[in-house]
Amino acid sequence: MSQYAFLLDLGRCIGCQACVASCKVGNELGEGQQYIELIEKTHGEFPNLTGGWDNHRCFHCGDAACVTVCPTGALFKEDGLTRLDRDICSGCSYCTEACPYDIPVMWEGKSSKCDGCAETVRAGGTPWCVGTCPSMALEYGPREEIRAEAHRRAEALRGRYPNAQVYGETQAGGLGLLVVMPDDPELLDIPIDPKVPFMADAWQKVVQPASVGITIGAAVVAGAAAVIARRRHEEELEVLEAEGVISGHADGGEEEEGQ
Amino acid sequence: MTTQKQALGDREVLRYRKRPRIVHAILASSFLILLLTGLVILWPALSFLAPGGTTRWLHRVAAVGFMSVPIVYLIADREGAKELMVDSFKYDRDDWRWIKRFWSYAFGHTANMPKQGRLNAGQKMHHALVMLLSAAIVASGLALWFFTPSLGATGHAWAVVIHDLSMLALTLLLVGHLYFTFVYKALSGMTRGYVDKDEARLEHAKWLEELEQEAAEGAAEEDKQTV
Repeated sequence: MSQYAFLLDLGRCIGCQACVASCKVGNELGEGQQYIELIEKTHGEFPNLTGGWDNHRCFHCGDAACVTVCPTGALFKEDGLTRLDRDICSGCSYCTEACPYDIPVMWEGKSSKCDGCAETVRAGGTPWCVGTCPSMALEYGPREEIRAEAHRRAEALRGRYPNAQVYGETQAGGLGLLVVMPDDPELLDIPIDPKVPFMADAWQKVVQPASVGITIGAAVVAGAAAVIARRRHEEELEVLEAEGVISGHADGGEEEEGQ
Repeated sequence: MTTQKQALGDREVLRYRKRPRIVHAILASSFLILLLTGLVILWPALSFLAPGGTTRWLHRVAAVGFMSVPIVYLIADREGAKELMVDSFKYDRDDWRWIKRFWSYAFGHTANMPKQGRLNAGQKMHHALVMLLSAAIVASGLALWFFTPSLGATGHAWAVVIHDLSMLALTLLLVGHLYFTFVYKALSGMTRGYVDKDEARLEHAKWLEELEQEAAEGAAEEDKQTV
């Protein structure tokens, strides 16, 4: 399976909101629903300000916490990207709690997040944000090519921005969104080491399938065993009745109320 | 002769009075609603039922019912609640011997089982586990209900796992509960309140002996008064 990825070059992002708009229109998102949000981040005091546009969108984690905690499989990995099938989302909102980047939100009772334009890409198209970006800050392609391009761009930036770097090669199992950053990620409040919740793996991989399986298995086994055990108990009652240990009116005795 | 049925009849014994039966019905119905409305967020085949928020609302209403059980029990039947609480955590020598032979009893053999009181050792363990697991599920459920924003990702994951594991264990206990109800024909104890006297003699010999002794003493007392 080939791995795809987005390139987000914050050195080129001009904060024009074109990606936000095209994503919303192209994916026919509902009222109040959006997958990309541009947030202006500034640090320090005038005139020594640093910061820029945080292009807040799904990072498509390799080890995605949202996928791990999703009990229905509505969130899943495909081609290195994190897809969302809203049809089977139960709206438990576990993903909104688990995501280290605060990406998924609940919209109309179900999870809502960038799915890498799954439908558009399957039909041979380019993700809407990438196709619309006027400053070439967004690219999409095989992850290795995107990674090489990201390093070329970071290298080129380093003349003016010595801290220029590529974010996302190792975080959360390697991201499907590689970000070229002119400066450290903290300046945009992006965690250097995103924390995947402890126990998240145990939840989906062990507890949930085990719960349903064990319960159904136990009910089936207990049902069959109960029939056998009840027969043995009735045999025992007959023997004890014959021996005179009990009076032996168990048969049919239950419906004799009111006599 | 009174028209009211005797607590210790010829064929049947009163096992549960009306009030504990009502408490049990609240517990059983709220548990089943909680199980089904909880399952819809885990089971992909049922997940389409969840997003409207109706099942969440039902889950919370049933949760209040479930949490009210110990309070309702104490109000309705203070002595019974206390007795259940104490008995469930008190095991005598016969209880331990009974536990060793549990599998024989599970397969329908009462012969050679040590004599048991009103609660057999299996019921004691069942009740004790239900109480402990209910505490865990209520604590984790309240955390998820009211404190999700402040739990953090790890705290939330812990609460979910505790909630699910305790529900798994409680559901397995329910399977066992229904199993023994069926094998030893005990359902009438919770519907009409009476159980078969033969079954009581085989499975709760000490309890029945106590009842018979009490009845004999009562009769002797009555005789004395009439003389």
